Amino acid sequence: MSETSFVPSWQYYRRKFVGATMLALCYLSAVIAIVPLVLIFFYTIDRGVSYLNLDFFIQMPKPVGETGGGMANAIVGTLVLVATGSAIGLPIGILTGIYLAEFGNNKFAYFVRFMTDVLSGVPSIVAGVVAYGLVVVPMKHFSALAGGVAMAILMIPTVTRTTEEMIRLVPHSYREAALALGIPQWKTTMQIVVRTAFRGIITGILLSIARIAGETAPLLFTALGNRFWSTSLNQPIGSLTVFIYDYAKAPFEDWNNQAWTAALVLIILMSGLSLAVRAVTRSKYVQR
Amino acid sequence: MKIMKSLLLVAALGLIGSATLQAQLKLNGAGATFPYVIYSKWFDVYHTKTTIEFNYQSIGSGGGIKQVIEGTVDFGATDGPMTSEQMKDAETKQGTEVLHIPTVMGAVVVTYNVPEIGAGLKLTPAVLASIFLGEITKWNDSKIVALNSGKSLPDQPIVVAHRSDGSGTSFIFTDYLTKVSKDWETKVGKGTSVNWPVGLGGKGNEGVTGLVKQAPGAIGYVELAYAVKNNLPYAWMKNKSGAFVEPTLESVTSAAAGAAKNFPEDLRVSITDADGKNSYPISGFTWLLVYKRMKDKGKGAAMVKFLKWAMTDGQSYAKDLLYAPLPKEVVKRCEAKIKDMKY
Repeated sequence: MSETSFVPSWQYYRRKFVGATMLALCYLSAVIAIVPLVLIFFYTIDRGVSYLNLDFFIQMPKPVGETGGGMANAIVGTLVLVATGSAIGLPIGILTGIYLAEFGNNKFAYFVRFMTDVLSGVPSIVAGVVAYGLVVVPMKHFSALAGGVAMAILMIPTVTRTTEEMIRLVPHSYREAALALGIPQWKTTMQIVVRTAFRGIITGILLSIARIAGETAPLLFTALGNRFWSTSLNQPIGSLTVFIYDYAKAPFEDWNNQAWTAALVLIILMSGLSLAVRAVTRSKYVQR
Repeated sequence: MKIMKSLLLVAALGLIGSATLQAQLKLNGAGATFPYVIYSKWFDVYHTKTTIEFNYQSIGSGGGIKQVIEGTVDFGATDGPMTSEQMKDAETKQGTEVLHIPTVMGAVVVTYNVPEIGAGLKLTPAVLASIFLGEITKWNDSKIVALNSGKSLPDQPIVVAHRSDGSGTSFIFTDYLTKVSKDWETKVGKGTSVNWPVGLGGKGNEGVTGLVKQAPGAIGYVELAYAVKNNLPYAWMKNKSGAFVEPTLESVTSAAAGAAKNFPEDLRVSITDADGKNSYPISGFTWLLVYKRMKDKGKGAAMVKFLKWAMTDGQSYAKDLLYAPLPKEVVKRCEAKIKDMKY
């Protein structure tokens, strides 16, 4: 074999071929990865859009045999549940995150961090069963509050971990500068560190809300569901996800169609939230 | 943050709004999925009539029984009656007896996916049991051919489809097979979920319907409404008196009438394999589970009033929604039972 001119050997072509094949496989996989999302989106729009009208948002559900009607109670119910879950879960999650990031160099914090990771892997139905045992059984009835507790359990790990990560990103020099100026530790934490990490924390909050708003399993045995208008925390409450679950399996076409529309509304709500997350994270980089 | 704020605002407004409407009477119930459609119809009609809200959620028969025992609901619903232990458990925990009130009836039909046969495959109890035991594996088995002269049966393997989840439908179906087949009784038995010897499992009636639709040569059992709404063919079953009966609302009602004479006092009764020439043998009741003595006076009065309405005017909604209304003899027994309720 000559040393000056490069004569391609069969290994060379093999490498070329393997390289090209692998690259093609990567592209193919990338396309396959987005296909389900696109399919879900378009299929839901295709099936759901025909029932999507103003009535769906402002009317109550109609019984089988009467066409029309809407899911006003379920839409409001989903919002009430998310708000209740947030009201319970966010303060706990954010404060835990602050604790872990700022004061978490000890065994207890290590334990808390480990437990949070375990909690994030707990199936949502288990959170529902826990809320059933903690709230429904002692109170002797199903309630929106119990649904909120179940959702809070699911939110806490996401919020805790993102808050911690975001606060850890704040440079140490900021804290040192603040402390050097004689600002007390608590003020440094609240007004310098948390404020600097604020956008990141908001992203975590939005992600956790997106995580819980689409849940059905933890609601079945807690918030139960309701075909009537109810916003009381003390009563069972309807939600879009439970309505989809019930309507999709009924042997009546009208209900099946409404389930598609409910799915579409839920996807629109969730995508709106995702876009909000994107908007928040993007503006963060623009500002810096 | 804005989203959060607006969410909280919505919740706050909602709380204020609901506080003003709190005076309304509300009863909560949960249980069987099978009667969900008619119950939601009933409760909606009753709401417009009386403004009383009966909130019913279909979480499954087993869930309904559990909630009644725990006392987390005002009423429950089930397709398979509570066992005596469950009744005792509920009585000790809630301090009052649980009553079974039949509301409507349904049929479990044997459906199949063999286009060559068309509608109206004829089956005997023995052949049905053999198929679900895995003893008959081909559609052109001589035992099936003998029952269906004139129909062309293909040389195709039988694919058995059954429920994978605990269900009242399975209870009715296995209760029937247990009654008609010694082999089934010893090998499998009855229950909301059993150890199926052969076949594929599907979740819910919609799951089994899907399996039968997709698999050529499949046979499965679903509630009548699912077969009708999905245009699936269903088999005619040979009943106790030897006649092949098509599953219809009339033949189900006839089965209940046939069994009415031997009703036990607590109305927990199986009407599979019932007497009567026109009785469809795989039929069953669905029950509301109510407390004999309700703690809340207002709720108790509302419950009794509703049950009386359901036994009379309520029955007229059944047929349109593919449920079989109760025969007169059964309504009488129920009304007597409702009179026992105290509040």
